Amino acid sequence: MKVSGTALINAPRGTVWDALQDPAVLVRTIPGCKTLEQTGPDHYKATVEAGVASIKGLFDGVVELCDPEPQERIVLKSSGKGAPGTVSATVLVSLTDEAGATRIDYDADAVVGGMIGGVGQRMLTSVGKKTAGEFFAAVEKDLVEGPTIVASEPVAAGDAPQVFTRAAAPAGARPGLGWIFAAFALGAVTALLGVLVGRL
Amino acid sequence: MTDVALSRKEDHRLLTGRGRFLDDLGRGALCAAFVRSPHAHARIRDIDVAGALAVEGLVAVYTWEDLPAGVRDPLPLLIPHPSLTHGRTPYALAREFVRHVGEPVAMVIAADRYLAEDAAARIDVDYEVLRPVVGIETAAAAEHLVHADVPGNLGARLEQSVGDAAAAIAAAPHRLAFRLDIERSASMPLEGKGVYARWDGEDLRVYSSTQTTTSVRMALSAKLGVPLPHIEVIAPDVGGGFGVKIMHPWPEEVLVPWAAMTLGREVKWAEDRREHFISSAHERAQIHHVEVGFDDDGRVLGLDVRILHDHGAYTPYGIILPIVTSTQLLGPYKIPSYHATVDSLYTNAVIVTPYRGAGRPQGVFCAERTMDKIAAHLDLDRAVVRRRNFIEPDEFPYDHGLTFQDGRPLIYDSGDYPQSLEKIKALIGWDGFAARREAAAAEGRRIGIGLGCYVEGTGVGPYEGAHVQVVSNGHVYVATGLTSQGQGHQTVLAQVAAAELGIGTEQITVTTGDTRRFGYSVGTFASRAAVMSGNAVAVAAGKVKEKAIALAAKVLGADPGSLECAGGEVRARDGSAAIGLGTLAVLSNPLRYSFDEESARAGQFAGVPDPDTPPLEGEPGLEATGYYSPIRSTFASGMHAAVVECDPETAEITVLDYAVVHDCGRMINPQLVEGQVHGGVAQGIAGALYERMAYDEHGQLLNASFMDFLMPYATEVPAIDTDHLETPSPLNPLGVKGAGEAGVIPVSAVIASAIEDAEGFAIDAMPISPSQLHHLRGAAR
Repeated sequence: MKVSGTALINAPRGTVWDALQDPAVLVRTIPGCKTLEQTGPDHYKATVEAGVASIKGLFDGVVELCDPEPQERIVLKSSGKGAPGTVSATVLVSLTDEAGATRIDYDADAVVGGMIGGVGQRMLTSVGKKTAGEFFAAVEKDLVEGPTIVASEPVAAGDAPQVFTRAAAPAGARPGLGWIFAAFALGAVTALLGVLVGRL
Repeated sequence: MTDVALSRKEDHRLLTGRGRFLDDLGRGALCAAFVRSPHAHARIRDIDVAGALAVEGLVAVYTWEDLPAGVRDPLPLLIPHPSLTHGRTPYALAREFVRHVGEPVAMVIAADRYLAEDAAARIDVDYEVLRPVVGIETAAAAEHLVHADVPGNLGARLEQSVGDAAAAIAAAPHRLAFRLDIERSASMPLEGKGVYARWDGEDLRVYSSTQTTTSVRMALSAKLGVPLPHIEVIAPDVGGGFGVKIMHPWPEEVLVPWAAMTLGREVKWAEDRREHFISSAHERAQIHHVEVGFDDDGRVLGLDVRILHDHGAYTPYGIILPIVTSTQLLGPYKIPSYHATVDSLYTNAVIVTPYRGAGRPQGVFCAERTMDKIAAHLDLDRAVVRRRNFIEPDEFPYDHGLTFQDGRPLIYDSGDYPQSLEKIKALIGWDGFAARREAAAAEGRRIGIGLGCYVEGTGVGPYEGAHVQVVSNGHVYVATGLTSQGQGHQTVLAQVAAAELGIGTEQITVTTGDTRRFGYSVGTFASRAAVMSGNAVAVAAGKVKEKAIALAAKVLGADPGSLECAGGEVRARDGSAAIGLGTLAVLSNPLRYSFDEESARAGQFAGVPDPDTPPLEGEPGLEATGYYSPIRSTFASGMHAAVVECDPETAEITVLDYAVVHDCGRMINPQLVEGQVHGGVAQGIAGALYERMAYDEHGQLLNASFMDFLMPYATEVPAIDTDHLETPSPLNPLGVKGAGEAGVIPVSAVIASAIEDAEGFAIDAMPISPSQLHHLRGAAR
């Protein structure tokens, strides 16, 4: 299944690029994101609650970042797995300037399997795009208006991996560019899953 | 009581909600749920069941490693064939590899289905995803393999040949070559599969929604090591089969009884709709490369067909389907030189086993499109080309020189194709269609007419049997091992017994598919119930009649030749004496003990006619067992025609008229034959215009629900005009041929022919949707 789309974030590309390195932003803006964890260089793990109305499920997702071209483009390989099925996606994300704003183009090739794979896939592309749009709008709102949740101290300590949760995201931590792309990929995966779960 | 349009005896019970289907049984039984592969092709790295253990009500979780010898071996290859050099069957639970979405990986047993599903959802399977092989051409290209040890993804290469097709085509005045495609579809019964098993420490009783209880019983005996006399298998009411339930034993059919034995508890599993889409069998997908040589009159001189058959991930049912396609392709035609090759290919998709029609719709599509293309090439009427190629009525038995799916020679026993053609032309208004087309065109409407002929091998052996018993109140109980899925066997087989015994069908109760009642049977498939069990019931009822007359002759002191069975009694033809069948049943079983007035009449002090003969001669009971085993299949035939309208703007396709002429020999019940034809046409329309299995390039089935798989409603199925021709089969006493699949077989060919006629360009791939027709219009411009 192919999902592609465009989002405009009303901030200059450099600003978006820099600002979005904050995992706290991502954990706040990925729809349904519960935790986000860096498991290695360019490798991330997340738990996402996705669903529609009363039908919800928890999905574990992983994201790997490949072939980065700073401030230009990157390829994300992501997968999510939960009770209703599996989604794996390869997403090409590119950033360009557009009239003082930043244009984000995403192009995802997703394999949707398990129970969700056979139920309503034809509905998936359009609703997936809608949910992805909501994600980017949330990113923009976070950037322009500031976070709506007051962050507390990070929970990570010692050698434990850095784990961010929605209620306890680090304000100052900027662990790397990867977060934003992890977010894009997870956003895409979440978008797909969210739709699907709602259809079960 | 034959040739009577009797309404179905079973309908009142079924229509008033008193049917007992699999999931109506076993309240309180433990329930099974299955973890199934979400991937079309993957290696299982690890199965972590820890998450499931916390689910309250969980009883057991099983993976392949937990299965004992027998159960852990690959499932049987049911129908081996010398051409199937690389047959592969699955494990009941996947061992290391999964090869289609839906393949079972783990079985969960819990207190109820909800809990079993909850636990199944918590089992974490770690897969290494492999490249899937999706689609026939990808399989043939063999860049990736479904089974590492099957080169070229080639399971079987089958050849059928008579004469020298290549030479005949090369020497023919006219030649055409083209490709024809048919997509995957599926039987899609409203009730899916289901199994419910009980074990009492010694005896195993299994209820299964199957088309063959006797063979499931034998398979379970082999797999589970339970002696045959200690297993009974029963098909309760079954909500449709259409072929998919002749496949057996399904993984669940082995695993659920095994779990019941292992746990010492009743266990049940009823398939849900999504499971049915992704783990029960499909059919139909084939690519055909056709080459034909013919003369100036349109007579076929040589025909060569290269068939690529998609059999899915495994081959448990052998290569029956391509054998049927490659033989039944010949239809009602005399084709002097014929050559067919079949490459039966593995793909990472659900397995393929017979679905109503079973390879014939594809073969008929080839032959009928060929006839249409010859007609177009020579500018001849399509009916005329067909007529010139027919086997003539005086040429039966007609030997094609090939081997049919029953391993017997392909010899047609009877038929009258020219008469069928005249009937179908009259029924659809073939000769007056040009004027109708012009009138429609004047209104801006685009209509076309199509025609299709088929011959169907039915009543495939090896045998069926029946038991007929008269009890002391005169009621007759008939049992046959063959199963019912809603066809009306309780009615038709009662009619056969009624005709022999001279009683009303209301005095007869028929049981099918219960090994407690009858243990020897093959199953319900290949339009064989009326032919096989019908004749077996006639044989058994005939024996009961003989027994009744012999006993009555003794009791009445009459000459057996002067007696007849009629009105529920044996009576003298001159009306001088009579004795009821119930009384004869009593007297047939000499008793020491009696329980009522009837049985007292058979007591040892009731009077002995002859003190010097033993009380019992022969066997007790007014009952008999009979078998019918034909030397080969009997060949039904028919012709369909349709008028379709294609919307010039939206390309929506509407079937305006549909006509069927059908010859299944003597009809036991014309109303039920008509019902079979109507149901078959509905499934044929579905396969021609609506239903397909939409696999994406990853091997994911995208339309695995009734929301996306477009099963037609009554609104999409046209009114069907039928006419019958009865050329009795000389092969069986009743003179019947099968009728179950006839309705579905030529429909795609007929609809394609009609759309082609309406549009003026070739329709070479079915099913066809409005959007596909729209694209074809664009390409034709």
